[in-house]
Amino acid sequence: MFKQLKDLAGGEFYLITSLIIFMVFFLIVAVYLYKMSKGHIQIMSNLPFENQQNNTDEED
Amino acid sequence: MMQLEKFSYDNKIVRDFGIATIVWGIIGMTVGLLVAMQLFKPEMNMGNQYTTFGRIRPLHTNAVIFAFVGNAIFMGVYYSLQRLLKARMFSTALSKIHFWGWQLIIVSAVITLPLGFTSSHEYAELEWPIDIAITVIWVVFGINMFGTIFKRRERHLYVAIWFYIATFVTIAVLHIVNSFQLPISFLKSYYVFAGVQDALVQWWYGHNAVAFFLTTPYLGMMYYFLPKMANRPVYSYKLSILHFWSLIFIYIWAGPHHLLYTSLPGWAQSLGVAFSIMLIAPSWGGMINGLLTLRGAWDKVREDVTLKFMVVALTAYGMATFEGPMLSLKQINAVAHFTDWIVAHVHVGALGWNGFLTFGIMYWLVPRIYKTELYSKKMASFHFWVGTLGILFYAVPMYWAGFTQGLMWKEFTQEGLLKYPNFLTTTLQIIPMHVLRGIGGALYLSGVVVMAYNLGKTMLKGSLVADETAEAMPLAPDIEETDPADKKWHRVLERKPMKFMVFSLIVILIGGMIEMMPTFTIESNIPTIASVKPYTPLELQGRDLYIKEGCVNCHTQTVRPFRSETERYGEYSKAGEYVYDHPFLWGSKRTGPDLHRLGGKYSNAWHFNHMLDPNSMSPGSIMPPYPWLITQTLDISTTEAKIKAMQTLGVPYRKGFELEANDKLKQQAEEISADLKQNNINVKSDKEIIALIAYLQRLGADIKANKSTIPSNQ
Repeated sequence: MFKQLKDLAGGEFYLITSLIIFMVFFLIVAVYLYKMSKGHIQIMSNLPFENQQNNTDEED
Repeated sequence: MMQLEKFSYDNKIVRDFGIATIVWGIIGMTVGLLVAMQLFKPEMNMGNQYTTFGRIRPLHTNAVIFAFVGNAIFMGVYYSLQRLLKARMFSTALSKIHFWGWQLIIVSAVITLPLGFTSSHEYAELEWPIDIAITVIWVVFGINMFGTIFKRRERHLYVAIWFYIATFVTIAVLHIVNSFQLPISFLKSYYVFAGVQDALVQWWYGHNAVAFFLTTPYLGMMYYFLPKMANRPVYSYKLSILHFWSLIFIYIWAGPHHLLYTSLPGWAQSLGVAFSIMLIAPSWGGMINGLLTLRGAWDKVREDVTLKFMVVALTAYGMATFEGPMLSLKQINAVAHFTDWIVAHVHVGALGWNGFLTFGIMYWLVPRIYKTELYSKKMASFHFWVGTLGILFYAVPMYWAGFTQGLMWKEFTQEGLLKYPNFLTTTLQIIPMHVLRGIGGALYLSGVVVMAYNLGKTMLKGSLVADETAEAMPLAPDIEETDPADKKWHRVLERKPMKFMVFSLIVILIGGMIEMMPTFTIESNIPTIASVKPYTPLELQGRDLYIKEGCVNCHTQTVRPFRSETERYGEYSKAGEYVYDHPFLWGSKRTGPDLHRLGGKYSNAWHFNHMLDPNSMSPGSIMPPYPWLITQTLDISTTEAKIKAMQTLGVPYRKGFELEANDKLKQQAEEISADLKQNNINVKSDKEIIALIAYLQRLGADIKANKSTIPSNQ
């Protein structure tokens, strides 16, 4: 199975670059999620429920 | 001091899209049932060209994707967007233009596809003027959506809206890039790209149409409607964000898994495989997030039919998104590709995920905008069970048929010969499965008809709250600049819709660019073959008939490098063979055999008789007869424009060739007609069949005589 990923006659460059780009992107999203506060999450996940409205900012 | 503002939600547009969803759903599925029946009883084409498989299979796919699912998306978006933003749609007029424009586009598809006006790119068959209309209406939708976002009364953009924005921007990019066509007349055009490059663009589009039309808007709807139905927030909002970004990032790379073992460069295929495997993670993240939203509410699932639909929809999503990556593994793909396995896979997604999520939302939404109760819960429950049975009856026989045929194609005898050298044997083996599939489809469709009746009665029972009053505080205009919390980088995106759109655009462009740029710019990726020459004018006209009749829906033109295929069809296909193919015609399904090495295999007389009555040459064949090709006169008024267009696209016809093209065409047609006459077949040289035979006899002929000069694909 790994032959598919190894025997690429020079095409490995594209594969490795792509995976690195994804890893970097994934890490950015991970940091973004880590930095989100619980209060903010609470507000965001309650948005579909009509009786609440958030047009001011909660503190982190 | 700010005051509470009174406004109203536009429910009428939601209702209109809802009705359109039901109407087109029934039409699209009925056409689906008709084409399904033609695969075991060809006479179901009703003996005319306008209802023959090759022309109406695209009608089925376009109708269910863009008419049924499309209208359902707009219904869901127009309902949820207004409420999530606490604002009426930006412009009622734009909503109406969007609605009627979209319906007109669908009607134009219903007219043009049976008439044979098709670009041949799967799920993008509509010709260029309709492509332009789609672009305009899509922009209208975008303006209406962003206009609403700008005048919102809710500062934060809920994750559902992220999915809607990503849908809008990605579909725009996909549609535009996959519509690079050179028009030669009002309803005929050639794709700018050829062969391998055209294939890559098409399947980058085709795969991402699944991703960004059938998946992301539905995930957005799932994130809004499921919490509403279960009356509890989504299980994990963080997971939804991770789900969103990784899904849109990864999905866009996966297209090449539709082209495994073709002449697409190997690294691009591997990239498609790798990202397809990775796709399991975000897809299952979304499914799990949906199912866990129902934690502690499973008792409701037993009572509430809407939740039942949602649970099956999410389960089908989970199954299809696990199966997809598995199918992209080369070893599995080698057996599954071109068989009914793929048809089963697609329909688990379409019937289960898209269909059931749509039904769940409609049963929830229609009584609400009509301020009444559902007319009959029993009927809805019946719909749920008959629909579920329908999916099973559809999918199980198709899996069975897929495994059976895929393995039969590959089976060798002990002596090393193909066990089933006649393709037709493998087709006849799975006919009973096709009958069962038809029953499955009929069950599913009957459920939808019951739903239509039930919802119709519900609408009659209540009365539409066309403008639902609501009130909310306005957004303070300057708060974004003054509040320091706003400047936090991770907040910016969910506050600034335009930045958000640009960022998601960049995210989805990365994958497509890395895959496409090298294939388009580095010559060594498409090795040329000296013996491959442009089509003669008659062959070119014949090729356009092949496109018009939709032959590509059942026949591939790409021989994979397996012994089982080179034994059956001949030399495997090379990238350099397709350089003049605008568009590529590799196909995605082998209901009949591959045709890439057909040229010279049979006599002209064989082809004539086979097209007139396939059963006379291949007893038991399920290919429909094409008698009209023998009576209809070939339109040669277009030859000059076609040659000119090809010259513009870089096909090396010599200068001035377009002016003598029709003479050459007639000369070649006379030769074929004379050859047929020797076999006691009297047909005038100006008939369509002559051009089609010329094209079929050309297929693969370029390299047959020059095998030694051909470079390999990798």
